[in-house]
Amino acid sequence: MEKKLWKGNEAVVEAAVRGGCNFFAGYPITPSTEALEYLSWRLPEVGGVFVQAENEIASINMVTGASVCGARALTATSGPGGSLKCEGLSYASRNAVPFVLLNVQRWGTGLGTLDSGQTDYFKETKGGGHGDYRNIVFAPASMQELVDMAYEAWDVAEKYRVVVTILSEAYLGQMMESVEMPEFKKPAERDWALDGTGKKGIGAYSRAIRGGDGTKVLGQTYETIKEEMQRWEEYGLEDADYVVVGFGLPGRISMEAVHKLREEGYKVGMIRPKLVWPYPVKAFEKVNPNVKGFISIESSDFGQMVEDVALAAKKTKRNAPVYLYAHGKGVPGVSTVAEFCKSVMNGEEKEVF
Amino acid sequence: MKEIIFAGFGGQGVLTSGLVIAYTAARAGLNATWMPAYGPTMRGGKANCVIKISDDENETIGSPIMENADCLVAMNEPSLDYISFCKKGASIICNAAAVPKDHKFPEDAEVTFVDFPEVARKVNNEKGMNIVAAAYIIKKYNMFSDDFAIESMCKFWEEKGKANFNELNTAAMKAGFELV
Repeated sequence: MEKKLWKGNEAVVEAAVRGGCNFFAGYPITPSTEALEYLSWRLPEVGGVFVQAENEIASINMVTGASVCGARALTATSGPGGSLKCEGLSYASRNAVPFVLLNVQRWGTGLGTLDSGQTDYFKETKGGGHGDYRNIVFAPASMQELVDMAYEAWDVAEKYRVVVTILSEAYLGQMMESVEMPEFKKPAERDWALDGTGKKGIGAYSRAIRGGDGTKVLGQTYETIKEEMQRWEEYGLEDADYVVVGFGLPGRISMEAVHKLREEGYKVGMIRPKLVWPYPVKAFEKVNPNVKGFISIESSDFGQMVEDVALAAKKTKRNAPVYLYAHGKGVPGVSTVAEFCKSVMNGEEKEVF
Repeated sequence: MKEIIFAGFGGQGVLTSGLVIAYTAARAGLNATWMPAYGPTMRGGKANCVIKISDDENETIGSPIMENADCLVAMNEPSLDYISFCKKGASIICNAAAVPKDHKFPEDAEVTFVDFPEVARKVNNEKGMNIVAAAYIIKKYNMFSDDFAIESMCKFWEEKGKANFNELNTAAMKAGFELV
C-alpha cells in the first residue's frame, strides 16, 4: 500500500471515517481542533453528519444519542474540554452506549497549556466521571498506530458495548509521519440500535441481556475485556535487570533509549503498553523473575501510570522497586531517558513503590 | 537515518521546507517524521521543524523530536540556538543574508553560508527561498533524483490548491540543486 505523509489529527479521523464513523459532534479546542476541522468537510462528503455543537456537554450528549440510534459516533477534545465530557461518559458507560472519544492530550491541570503531555492518564483509565466504570483506552505511539487503532475502535466498542478512548498527545496530533491508510470497511450490523419500532434499543438490551442486574454484567464485561485486550510491544524482558515502561510518544522514545542502552551493554528491557486500560499485566509475566527494578517514563508531573506499573509488578510477583521519571510537559529525549535509567542502575534514584 | 532541522522566523517558510522533503520521502516509500514548533503568530517569532528520514523502507524512526541532528538550516541568527541539538561535526547551513559570518560556531561544525534570498530573487521567486533551502538539502544528501523531487513538490502544492506557483517553485528548486 502507498505511504503518505499525514498529520496526526487528520490521519486519525480519516481512519475513523474509513472504519465506519458516520457521526461527529464536538467543540473545538487546541490541540485537537484539526480533527474537527477535517471532519467538517469530510463527513458530509461520505454521507455522514458533522455537528459543531454549542459546547462540550451538548456534543457528548449528541454523540450518545447518535450511538443509541446505531451511528458510529465520535467526539474529540483536549484538556478542560475532556473534563466537561465526563458526566456524559459516565451516562454512556452505565447504559452500554458504544462510541469513541479522541483525547489529544495537552499538558496541565486547570487550563493547562497547549504543550504536549500525558496528564489525562488517570482520567481516562480510571473512568473520569462519577460512578464506577472503565473505558477501553488505546495508547498510540506512532501515526500508523493512531490510524490502525481508530480504524478498529468501533469494532471493539460495539463488541463489548463500552466507550473507547484514543489517548493521543498534542505532539502526536500535530506532527506528520508517513503512514499506510486502510481501505473503507462496512460496519457489522447492530441488533440493539433504536429503529423506531419501539422493540429495540438500549433499554430492551439492558433488560434482555443483563437479566436485570446491569452492574453484575458490566463487571463481567470488564473482566472479559481485561482477558482479551492485552496488548503491548516488548523488548528484551527475559534477561532484563531493569524494565522500562512507557506509553505513547514517551514510550516510543524510551524504546529507542532502551535499544541504545543494550548496545552499551546494560541489561535493560522495555514494555510499551498499546492499551492502558486494560493494562497489559500479562506483559509483566514475561519479565525476568529476578528483575531489579521497573522504571516508569511518563509526561505527567507527579506520576500516574507508575501506579499501574507497581500493581502489575505485584500481580505477577515481580517483587522489585518501581522508579518514576515524570517529565512534565513535552516529551523526554532519548538521552534524557537513557541518563535516568543509568542513574537508577547506579543506585542514585529513590523508588516510588 | 537523517535528522535535519529547519529554523527561522515565522513567515520564512521553514516549516514548509521540511514538509516538502518529508512528503517526498513518504512518496518514495521511506519512513519520515515532521515535527513542528512555532508560536501563535503567523509572522515573526521563532519557528522550526525537525524532520527524520529513514535510509530505506525497513528502517523505523524512534524518537520524532529534535535531539541529535545531522544538519541545521538556520534562516536567522536566533536559529543558531539549535546547534545544541546537533551532533558533533554536524553541518550548519546559514542564510548569509541574516546570519553574521563572525558568529562563534563550534570548532567541529561544518559551516556553510548560502544567500538563500538572493538565489531565490534571481529566479524571480523571493518567497521561494525555503524551496531553495529544501532543494539544497535534497542535493547535499542525495536523497532523491531531481525529477522525482520536483514532481513530488508540484504534487504537494497541487494537493494544497496552490499549483499555479509550480513553475516558479520548480525554478527555485532547480536553483537550489545547482548550489551543491
